[in-house]
Amino acid sequence: MSEITMKSPVDLDPLSASDGNVTLEDAYATSKIQVRAGAGTIAAALLSVSYGSSTRNDAGDLVCGSRPDEWTIYGDPGRADTIAASVPTEGFVTVIDITHGRAMLRISGSNAASALQKICNLDLSDELTPNGAVFSGSLGGVSCDWVRDDQSGETSFLISCERSFGKFLFIAVADACIEFGLHVPAGWELHGH
Amino acid sequence: MIVVPCPNCGPRNSGDLRPAGEVVSRPDPATCSLREWREYLYMRHNPADWVTETWYCRGGCRRYFTIERNTATNEIRGQEAS
Repeated sequence: MSEITMKSPVDLDPLSASDGNVTLEDAYATSKIQVRAGAGTIAAALLSVSYGSSTRNDAGDLVCGSRPDEWTIYGDPGRADTIAASVPTEGFVTVIDITHGRAMLRISGSNAASALQKICNLDLSDELTPNGAVFSGSLGGVSCDWVRDDQSGETSFLISCERSFGKFLFIAVADACIEFGLHVPAGWELHGH
Repeated sequence: MIVVPCPNCGPRNSGDLRPAGEVVSRPDPATCSLREWREYLYMRHNPADWVTETWYCRGGCRRYFTIERNTATNEIRGQEAS
């Protein structure tokens, strides 16, 4: 059987503002495993993270309570099979590798929330979306899954959407960051499309 | 803008949700008349008053829930998962 090589919809090096207060990078390669598990299953007990929150497990993977009875596990690139195999499938449980079906970006920095706030209607304040918060909502008109995943104390969001919207989402977010000093290379401007 | 309280996600902009309309009881298709079935499918009371509605949280938890909404003022009270 032939293998299809999947590539990111965003073939671009990380972008950064000159003052370093906002950076935007593609995170498509992140391993993404979706788990749906009914209450009372071993998988649900093992994952245990409640809807709306996240935690890192012993392997360093980010386990997110994405929806009621649904979890998404994010790990380093290439770990999808390992993560999927670690979830017990006894009972009413499905485990799906959605790595290639979801585009993903990471936006970090003290101006990240302000830039995102321009193109979404979610309240990204520390009070409502503290580090570890998991939520869903539209960004630039695209349905997205969000995780507030601060890096070394710096505000950071991991945002994923359906792969086919990935390039548009990246461009829309990059455009929102221009006000905060992000340099967007030629061909990646919102209004150039 | 209407802010709709999802039981799972909290207050959300109605643009992130989809209204699924008044809650109506479903007649038994094996015994009801064509008129009753048609009224179930298409006819709504649509009062300028309190209405029990179903909403779908498409942008968040992807669950259905019901609320009571005053169609004249958009005031909302009560909520429960469907």
